[in-house]
Amino acid sequence: MMARWRARLLGFVLALLVATLSGSLIQTQFNLAALAALGAEISLATRLSTSFHDLLGFAPLYAGLMAAALSASLPLAALGRRWLPLPAGLVYAAAAALGVWLAFMVVDAMAPMPTLIAATRSLTGTLAMLAGAALGGLVYARCVGRRS
Amino acid sequence: MICRYMQGMMVTLLLTGLAHADYRLETVTEGLEHPWSLAFLPDGRMLVTERPGRLRLVEADGRLREEPLSGVPEVFAEAQAGLFEVMLAPDFDDSGLLYLSYAYGDLSANNTCLGRARFNGEGLSGGEVLFCASPAKRGAAHYGGRMALLPDETLVLTLGDGFDYREEAQNAANHLGSLVRLTLDGQVPDDNPFLGDDTARPELYSIGHRNVQGIVFDAERDELLINEHGPRGGDELNRIQPGANYGWPLTTHGVDYTGARITPFRELPAFTPPLLHWTPSIAPSGMALYRGAAFPDWQGDLFVSALAGQQVRRLVREEGRVVEQQVLFEELEARIRDVRVGPDGYLYLLTDHAEGALVRVVPAS
Repeated sequence: MMARWRARLLGFVLALLVATLSGSLIQTQFNLAALAALGAEISLATRLSTSFHDLLGFAPLYAGLMAAALSASLPLAALGRRWLPLPAGLVYAAAAALGVWLAFMVVDAMAPMPTLIAATRSLTGTLAMLAGAALGGLVYARCVGRRS
Repeated sequence: MICRYMQGMMVTLLLTGLAHADYRLETVTEGLEHPWSLAFLPDGRMLVTERPGRLRLVEADGRLREEPLSGVPEVFAEAQAGLFEVMLAPDFDDSGLLYLSYAYGDLSANNTCLGRARFNGEGLSGGEVLFCASPAKRGAAHYGGRMALLPDETLVLTLGDGFDYREEAQNAANHLGSLVRLTLDGQVPDDNPFLGDDTARPELYSIGHRNVQGIVFDAERDELLINEHGPRGGDELNRIQPGANYGWPLTTHGVDYTGARITPFRELPAFTPPLLHWTPSIAPSGMALYRGAAFPDWQGDLFVSALAGQQVRRLVREEGRVVEQQVLFEELEARIRDVRVGPDGYLYLLTDHAEGALVRVVPAS
């Protein structure tokens, strides 16, 4: 019993870490791509320093959003697996992505600006961010294995 | 770098070291719903716009006429959208014409428009739409909406980038994130800077802006000055050159509200840098140039009202640079939407609340 909860906790922490860090790095690349499309020269050093800056400046806020989304979606996915005879990785990845997508919609509805996270202004950007969340779900599935 | 740091330190010292001017605050009238702009009529009365779409008349004695004026164009009122500025035509005494800027459309397709109508003392008539920024965009943020008259009988209207469309501020093929210059009839002046460029909108006067909230033409110095909202930090005071690009979103001193970098560049050679930036943000709103007899020490100074900052900044300029800043009117503890200089030489402030007020600043003695 204790081992199962330890695995869940570890899985959640790792999923949160993966979703947050990948999301932060992905949104940085989308923002830089938008500037490059305007003609800006983005050197590798600039790309790295901007990515690093966002890990410090953006990732903490994004981690809060991910924590809220994953703490709801992953337990619901565990519950859903009782009736869904699908691979754990698929269920948790889909649940994490769906949870984060809902979180994006809620914050955009609540925040004063139309879209809080600039990278999610486009479908491509949103899907890329959701892919990061899905990766977190896969990591969770890997940690909890078949037991949850 | 060190020089800039020292400059910043000096401004900070001046901010804390200057004594408050000898003034008194008087509430002229209350009960205005998110008042946005103010115009002084020749007979001593005042017109005040309310963002939800009403134009109110304030009598010379400060009484607010209960009924809003009729004939105001239909506006899209939501979040930052609504009725913005009212400005009298230069020949208002004879023609009764005034200009209104406002958001038009719905949540899925809207933008800033400029209208003109005749004021007959009781209401507006003969309203016509002179200009609408293009393209229509989704959402209810970043409209600009301020106006200034230039001495050559043209007017400049400020616009915003629509928030979600920030990259479009670099695209001269639309009006997002720009200033436009029009004749008083809404036509394109034949010396507009982008006129010869087939890929650009002919109304454009400058591009690369985020959300321009204040504008002043200083006739004595022959300078057109604007202030604009940055994101988190990077609010700017800019001197406008016809045809210039002010860099947004390729350059800014601010970061996004999420903490993410919008751009790694604060300045780039291709873009005109700001005269001044406020980081952290004060959210500048209106702007006025003081010329009057009531406060001789303020002659020629700029006054910038601030929303988040809940203050007015007095900017002292020398040789085209801002050399001093003074924080004023914090005791109001209110978001301030607009600051104006009245014909009496007093400053007038509009507080941005559901129960907003018109406040007059007079000398203490």
